[in-house]
Amino acid sequence: MTTEASRHPLASLPRLPSGAGSVGLLFVALLLFWLAVNFVKTPADFVEVFLIGITTGCVYALVALGYTLVYGILELINFAHGDVFMLGGMVSATLAVSWGLEAGQASLWPLVILILLISMAFCGLLNATIEFIAYRPLRNAPRLAPLITAIGMSFILQNIALAWKGPNYVTAPDVLPTGDVFSIGGVSYTWNKLIVVLITVPVLLALVWLVQRTRQGKAMRATAQDRDASAIMGINVNRTISFTFLIAGALAGSAGLIYALYVTTVRFDQGFQLGLIAFTSAVLGGIGNLPGAVLGAVLIGLVQAFNEGLGWHTPGSDWTQSIVFSILILILVFRPEGLLGEQTPEGG
Amino acid sequence: MSESPPEQPRHVETRGAAPEVGYRNRARAAWHSQSQERRWAIVIGAELLLAILLGLPDTSLGIGVALVAALFWLPKVTPIPWRLVAEAAILAIAGAIAGAGKAPWSLPFVLAIAFAAWWIPTRYRRWAIPLLVILAVVFYPFYLQRLFEMPLFGPFPDQSTAVVMLVFIMMAVGLNIVVGYAGLLDLGYVAFYAMGAYTAAWFASLQFAEHTWHFGAVGVSPTLAGFHVSIWLLLILAALLTAMTGVLIGLPTLRLRGDYLAIVTLGFGEILPQVARNGDNFFGTGFNLTNGPNGITPIDSPGWGNRISDATGGFLPSNYLQCCDRTLLGHQVSSADVFFWTALVLLGITVFCSLRLRDSRLGRAWVAIREDETAAAAMGVPLMRTKTWAYATGAFFGGIAGAYYGSFKSATFPGDFFFNISVFILCMVILGGMGNVWGVIVGAAFLSYLDREGLANTGSWINSNINIGGWHPNIDVPLYASGIYGAIILIVMLFRPEGLIPSRRRAMEFHEGVHDEPLYDSTGS
Amino acid sequence: MKSRAAAIAFALLVAVLALAAAGCGGDDNESEGTTTEASGGGGGNASAVDALPASSCSAVYYEGDGDPDYLIASDLPLQGAGRTQTIEMTKAIKFLLKQRNFKVGDYSIAYQSCDDSTAQAGKWDSGKCSANANAYARNQDVIGVIGTFNSGCAEIIAPILNRAQNGPVAMISPANTYVGLTHGGPGTAPGEPEKYAPTGKKNYARVVAADDFQGAADAILAKQLGLTSVFILNDKEAYGLGVATNFRNALGKQGVKVAGFTAWDGKASSYEALATKIKSSGADGVFLGGLVCENGGKLIKDLRANLGANVQIMAPDGFTPISAVVEGAGTDAENMTVSVAGLPNSQLKGAGKTFVSDFSADNNGKDPDPYSVYAAQAAEVLFDAIERSDGSRAAVAEELFNTDVKDGILGTFEIDEKGDTTSNPVTIYKIKGGKQTDFKVITPPTSLVKAA
Repeated sequence: MTTEASRHPLASLPRLPSGAGSVGLLFVALLLFWLAVNFVKTPADFVEVFLIGITTGCVYALVALGYTLVYGILELINFAHGDVFMLGGMVSATLAVSWGLEAGQASLWPLVILILLISMAFCGLLNATIEFIAYRPLRNAPRLAPLITAIGMSFILQNIALAWKGPNYVTAPDVLPTGDVFSIGGVSYTWNKLIVVLITVPVLLALVWLVQRTRQGKAMRATAQDRDASAIMGINVNRTISFTFLIAGALAGSAGLIYALYVTTVRFDQGFQLGLIAFTSAVLGGIGNLPGAVLGAVLIGLVQAFNEGLGWHTPGSDWTQSIVFSILILILVFRPEGLLGEQTPEGG
Repeated sequence: MSESPPEQPRHVETRGAAPEVGYRNRARAAWHSQSQERRWAIVIGAELLLAILLGLPDTSLGIGVALVAALFWLPKVTPIPWRLVAEAAILAIAGAIAGAGKAPWSLPFVLAIAFAAWWIPTRYRRWAIPLLVILAVVFYPFYLQRLFEMPLFGPFPDQSTAVVMLVFIMMAVGLNIVVGYAGLLDLGYVAFYAMGAYTAAWFASLQFAEHTWHFGAVGVSPTLAGFHVSIWLLLILAALLTAMTGVLIGLPTLRLRGDYLAIVTLGFGEILPQVARNGDNFFGTGFNLTNGPNGITPIDSPGWGNRISDATGGFLPSNYLQCCDRTLLGHQVSSADVFFWTALVLLGITVFCSLRLRDSRLGRAWVAIREDETAAAAMGVPLMRTKTWAYATGAFFGGIAGAYYGSFKSATFPGDFFFNISVFILCMVILGGMGNVWGVIVGAAFLSYLDREGLANTGSWINSNINIGGWHPNIDVPLYASGIYGAIILIVMLFRPEGLIPSRRRAMEFHEGVHDEPLYDSTGS
Repeated sequence: MKSRAAAIAFALLVAVLALAAAGCGGDDNESEGTTTEASGGGGGNASAVDALPASSCSAVYYEGDGDPDYLIASDLPLQGAGRTQTIEMTKAIKFLLKQRNFKVGDYSIAYQSCDDSTAQAGKWDSGKCSANANAYARNQDVIGVIGTFNSGCAEIIAPILNRAQNGPVAMISPANTYVGLTHGGPGTAPGEPEKYAPTGKKNYARVVAADDFQGAADAILAKQLGLTSVFILNDKEAYGLGVATNFRNALGKQGVKVAGFTAWDGKASSYEALATKIKSSGADGVFLGGLVCENGGKLIKDLRANLGANVQIMAPDGFTPISAVVEGAGTDAENMTVSVAGLPNSQLKGAGKTFVSDFSADNNGKDPDPYSVYAAQAAEVLFDAIERSDGSRAAVAEELFNTDVKDGILGTFEIDEKGDTTSNPVTIYKIKGGKQTDFKVITPPTSLVKAA
């Protein structure tokens, strides 16, 4: 934080009162106490809800990573990202229905992987196209301009889905096995949940490898830190940004497939809602920070699951939406750099 | 990688040559490199083509397009004799159309008035044209029935629709203070609208039936339970409460940089409706604040009471809903008319305040912050206080609009407030021209008309008139309303970010860039 | 140079205009019909009544002799998920009107179908409801309104029609089930129902049983099915919360435990955590107070997956059409019950049976939706009230409350002085093999309804 302050000698901000930190600590302590009481009262439910939260969190993580990648490189909240994800889900659901996927069929997994690849390619290209059409021309405009076009883009994508599939839910076949992986003391963990985690983790590892170890990843990090200097150093900045959108879109595509198979219903307006939750996750973890996005997403998944699933003094699902957005607001106000620290060009 | 085009540095002011990056700028450059004759030829060709294409299924639409195009060319006809001939020609054609029974005589009449207005000497135009516009709007209910029908968009809106339009225009003007003047993106403006509507609902309905308190309410029996306060006081109260909400939301969040602020406002815009939805029984306490999803109905209607009404000879009606038993200039005054005129007065106040604020010290501080926060702070502009004022002022007018709308439709439901409305109002501001009140009014009037009636009419026009080789489209156009608004946002931001009627200063910012590197990035505790 | 080009441009456009104007003089009659054509076809003459605004209402439907004397309107949400249902309701009204040859007693009646939804919301919109209501009130030719579909919209329209000039204007709803519209009781707001009739003269009635009947019937069903503890969910919309609250009240009276009462979020992606909570509450039944379009299919799936096959899922008429439930939830919808106020089409007798078969023949052989039957009955009640009246608005509204139907479409019933129907059977359907099957008909006793 000292660097921040020194970078802006003019900052004459009303600082938050010093008590804010201790209030925050108290709040976290209360939260832990509440969790502990719930755990003692109904341990089996607690674990079960915990597992559900992790699974939901994994889906959020894939979407949140897309937000965080794009924000890291362009400082743009890509509102349309959630809708790209939703379109990925619809493409996956449509393919799964038209190819007649069935649980237990021999060719199930090759087909699923094929759909995954198609969905990733579709969303990746879509996202890169959106960048080219809607964001690139505005790169020198005031900062809010691309944010506004992103909202416009989001609405357009929703209406494309609406025109394509109508206002009702698109249902994908139930193909993931729902048998128990294990069942101990009333807690059962089903295969479909494990599969979600099993798809998410390799994708994450591949992404981290890509950003940390490859030449293209290096270019991405360089562009994120200083676009002008990167250009001088011979990095094709436009191509790098396109590539980032491609990767982010592919992640959304994979999330779309997982969503279609695990949740099995997609509607045209679900992407925006889930996108906001994913964005909250990214902010919670520290926007621009890849592990942070995953951490934030899992935390948000857990918060939602605990709120809806636990019995002792929970606000219940009436308030889920408010709780998620309250977290977003509190984090932005009190700790804008997130839990693990922000890695934007200035902050990184 | 060597063939990469040189990247423009991001936040550096680029006055002078526009950067020719991206398809948009290349297209713009290619367009401007053509000779003027060729450009005009292309434009006229496109207009003719459009007029003929649209005229084939529906002649009147083709005529309408050609007419509008001709009107846009008219200012370019500068020699006075030519100009006279041109105007006469247009009038003659409009007269011919009217004579053929295709349009009422109001069409040539309106055109004639518009042309006459052009001939007003420049020194009088400054006040004559606004005066004409105001007169035209005030007397709208009197000649509404005689107006011609717009091709494609359908008839002119009736008074009740006009009231809704005026309410949305007020909200757009209020949002313009936040977005256009101060450059703060607010994606949760609907929260202020909700706050205003609920304030009216709380203090002018049976919601709190355990108390009975009347203060200047009209049209309700004095023994009726619940708070019943005069709507006029409630408009002020709603505005103040909403402004306070704005300050409360603003104080912690305005420190954030622009895009984070947008997200936080969006968050509030999502939370408040849920609070309204769950507010019939907060956490099982049994306290009923908002009556939950059932909403609060009915809300008292405005009125001046018998005493004031009699004192003004019935000019101010005692109760809007039971209005009015009188005929003015051969027009039976209805309650919708009175609601319309009142909304007009409220809008007038809003616009006046908005204009005065813009030219005030505070307004200049807003612009300074919008253009360069660092420089503004260096010049001694108190950032937080200035931004909070922008927020509070924007919220203030949103509150008035919400309260008036609640009283007009006599109800408020949590389902009325959702994210799309925030974007819808933002779309009005962007389309009209951020920062320019007149532009915002035009944009808001157009879009709110489109939302209420225009889209439905356009949809039925498309479905009934288009016939390509026996194929009739069956498109539910209003279903895609949000997509159409999204497309408007996108197209305007890409090709004319300053809006239809831009404020000159804002246009320069969009084309030449500003220094909007925020001053205190993520300066947390 | 500049001005010459401009002059040329201008001249070109003017020339086109002139040509077009000349052309349109010729085909005058041809393009006239596009805006005022009666949607039923057949060039009706409806000039004697002022039409309601075209922005929310369809063209005037009248094919009778001479000019119509009065106009009736229906007020339904014609956009969004319920579109097929509501469109069919308007068809049913048109069908009946045509059957009567647009004659009701001495009066000729024309009809307009008005839409109270906006595309943005995809459902009813309060602003639209109020604008429509003002349009009905202002248009002196409107003598009665059939509607609304959503209770919230009726809350707005009823008081405005009540204060209309020469009014009140009669309003009869085929679908509003919110209790407070006609009578007070647990769960209603202060001042209900008097606040919907500010003039003191009532004008609102309905032919459908209020939520308290359905809640009571479902509570009896729960008891009959041998459930001991039921978890109640609602979708936090006016309808869902209302019916869930009434069910909860009645359930207590039946001696069945309420295991929990909470909302489900229609925008959520999964309900597994919620299902875990229900499971740990030990409930052997779940009541879904809400609409199937609020992600109901996914909700049923998640409940089934987590609660097992033995827990009974019960739903009110928000989970119609049942085909939509089966489509959304697949085999997980098996054995769930759906209660619908009124009798099933197969059990209708006399006029009802005739209507179902005739309307079905008129509507491509499709079995009428229950709401179409209600719309038809509501139209009949309104027609009869007009027939008995002296042709004034106030008289029609008054006659509405003297309704005494013998062997009507929905059987024999009266409209009581509060505006409620006295015939309140509730049919329970059970989903078997992906189809709706008539399970039983329950007529809840008044004492239980009062408590609900």
